Amino acid sequence: MAQKYEKAIAIEKENVIVDGVDVSGHWNRMFEQRVIFEYTPELIEKVASIPNAESFANCYQCAKCVAVCPVDVVGNYGPRKLYRYAQTGLDLTEAPELWLCTTCANCLRVCPKEVNMVKIMPAVREQAILEGKFVPAELQQAFENTAKSGNPLGQPQRKRDAWIQSAGVPVPIIKDLGRPVDVLWYVGSYPSYHPRGIDAACAAARIFTALGIDFAILGKEEKDDADSQRLAGEKGLFEMMAEYNIETFNKYEWKEMVVTGPHELNAFKNVYPKYGFERPVVHYTTFLARHLDQLKPMLKHPVNKKITYHDPCYLGRHNGEYEAPRKLLEAIPGVELVEMQRNRENGYCCGGGGGGMWMDSFTAKHTTMRLSEKRAMEAASTGADVLAVACPFEVSRFTDAVKSTGNEHVDVLDILELLDRSMRGE
Amino acid sequence: MSNKVLVIGGGPAGLEAARSAAELGGEVILLEKRDRLGGTPDREGYAKLTHHWRDASEAMAELASAVTNHARVEVKYNAEVKGMSGSAGNFEVQIEAGGVAESLNVGSIIIATGFQHFDPGRATQYYNYYTFPDVITLTDLEKMLKEHNVVRPSNGQPPKKIAFIQCVGSRDRQIGNEYCSKVCCGIASKQAIELREQLPDSKVMIFYIDMRMYGYWENEIYWKAQEQHKVNYVKGVISEVLRKGDQLLIRGEDTTMSRPMEVTMDLVVLSVGMEPSAGTRAIAQLMGVKQNKYGFIEAGGEGGLDTVATSVPGIFVAGAAAGPADLNDSISSAGLAAARAMALVRA
Repeated sequence: MAQKYEKAIAIEKENVIVDGVDVSGHWNRMFEQRVIFEYTPELIEKVASIPNAESFANCYQCAKCVAVCPVDVVGNYGPRKLYRYAQTGLDLTEAPELWLCTTCANCLRVCPKEVNMVKIMPAVREQAILEGKFVPAELQQAFENTAKSGNPLGQPQRKRDAWIQSAGVPVPIIKDLGRPVDVLWYVGSYPSYHPRGIDAACAAARIFTALGIDFAILGKEEKDDADSQRLAGEKGLFEMMAEYNIETFNKYEWKEMVVTGPHELNAFKNVYPKYGFERPVVHYTTFLARHLDQLKPMLKHPVNKKITYHDPCYLGRHNGEYEAPRKLLEAIPGVELVEMQRNRENGYCCGGGGGGMWMDSFTAKHTTMRLSEKRAMEAASTGADVLAVACPFEVSRFTDAVKSTGNEHVDVLDILELLDRSMRGE
Repeated sequence: MSNKVLVIGGGPAGLEAARSAAELGGEVILLEKRDRLGGTPDREGYAKLTHHWRDASEAMAELASAVTNHARVEVKYNAEVKGMSGSAGNFEVQIEAGGVAESLNVGSIIIATGFQHFDPGRATQYYNYYTFPDVITLTDLEKMLKEHNVVRPSNGQPPKKIAFIQCVGSRDRQIGNEYCSKVCCGIASKQAIELREQLPDSKVMIFYIDMRMYGYWENEIYWKAQEQHKVNYVKGVISEVLRKGDQLLIRGEDTTMSRPMEVTMDLVVLSVGMEPSAGTRAIAQLMGVKQNKYGFIEAGGEGGLDTVATSVPGIFVAGAAAGPADLNDSISSAGLAAARAMALVRA
């Protein structure tokens, strides 16, 4: 991106002659104001005065964040730059930059001043939404879908459990079961509706059944966790969804909740407690790793593949689970697990977090390639046959990304699907 | 042999050296050029100290009274050294105090003749200190802060936009001061905090090459200035100060943005560094003590770790006479110089 953070209007002339050379053309837009005529500490303060965004003002420009910012790798971004842009005239509440952060938390991991974009971004976005400032249209659509249909895909609520027909095993609905269960499985929106998500949901159902888990799902009563909508700035919508979900969860008796997605884990484990919901919640990888002794003998069919695993930001950095997914993959006979250079704490974001899932077209205008594409290329560079994932956002994102980067030979599979294949043979 | 210790200079280092030597049982003579103690912080009217935000006059008075109230310290005011002979354990020092010539027999000597602020007229950049009234130094601002009357000298109005320019007279081969003056980043940040307190509507910016906030100054001053007092820091130092209307125009490069800057300011503060004082240069020559290339007294001994030793046995150095030092440094080195001086006269 060019230096376009000044409010000054770009100069675009019909004809431009520089040193006798005619340089007329659209590209003379690049002749924008370079000189800084004024510093604007008040625009830093404008951000820092928003509750939860206070740490924005603490940046001392060490730039550690920029090198690990996944958006900067494919563009020109990073928390320290946002600070400088604000100091030199950028009003973050109305800038495109406000919508590029995926809240992946890699900057916070390295920030000596604890500038916390995971708190700053949602707070400033909320402010921008409240003030009627610019919001990417596709994100607005996801908000509306969530409000109207209970899921960001805009799929009908009555079809939320339609997927269970293809599971091949009975998937009990807790309401119909009419008794307490050990495990309430929160399926999630993408595993319920997205074709590739449904593949993972069906695999999970078969695995739980094979392990003899006493589980049930909420079926048509299940609605989106809305954590990513919260991070994208729609706190009001999040609170509405949380209120409904907590009420629904509390209607039934269960001992533990297992979630398919890391974003749901983050919502129920870290955010819903602020709204009064404090129950045990685990990600499926953690849950299955606990049943590994029982699971292992069932993994009869070798999966002779070189596999690399992508750490989801909200499972890894946000919730500290790095080992369970790897233990599960290593338990599959025939699997050769290889690591990408950026793994575990330094895992590279797929671009789906913080509302990024619903802003791909917008983000594309401000980056050279999608984050998912960058990651797909990194996965392919390991020589892996399979890119294994553990987040329902990722299957669709990476499936597109391996195609668009010419790496169709890399299969994108959820760990659930790989376990299922090893159990059933394929 | 004499068991007396001569301390030259009544600033923070000299006062602490005198007090420590006396507490160790020594007979101390303290020479002060002026008619009062307290050294540069007193003479230049410092407001608050960077350490514990203490009132400078109060802190200096405390150091001074520990000396003036000590039975084994004799303070000679309006005093100057005129000559010296002898060697360690037995120095003859000719002085003139209050117009009266005198010869002192002492066993060891501590030089604590300090520093002076860099004169911005010597800067190679066009800061126009002597041309524009609204270009001032840290020292000038310190006086205004002490009076709680920070105004633009040109019109007597409080400034709304204030810029500090760091490293004026320091880290500069052309000027001849290649060293870092050590305290200016901290002093500028301290003053920036005081400015924001005294003029809450002001914008205060600090333009720097590297912020050098060593030790606890980082969290106690730098972070505090930025996080609590909203002082803004920009990496990229100013190369020239021009006039624009009745304001000052500062020009430089904002290096992390890679953009030129031309910003108007109401008041520009030059963060001037430290140079050896005239007294330090004079005493070194008179006593034949080796100076480094910048004129400070060379300290450290052969191995570098004898930090208060000079090139002459029996003569020690304390405080900023040996190079840029903050108050903590000065007082710590003074205590060590006193111990070394006493060890000599007791041997």
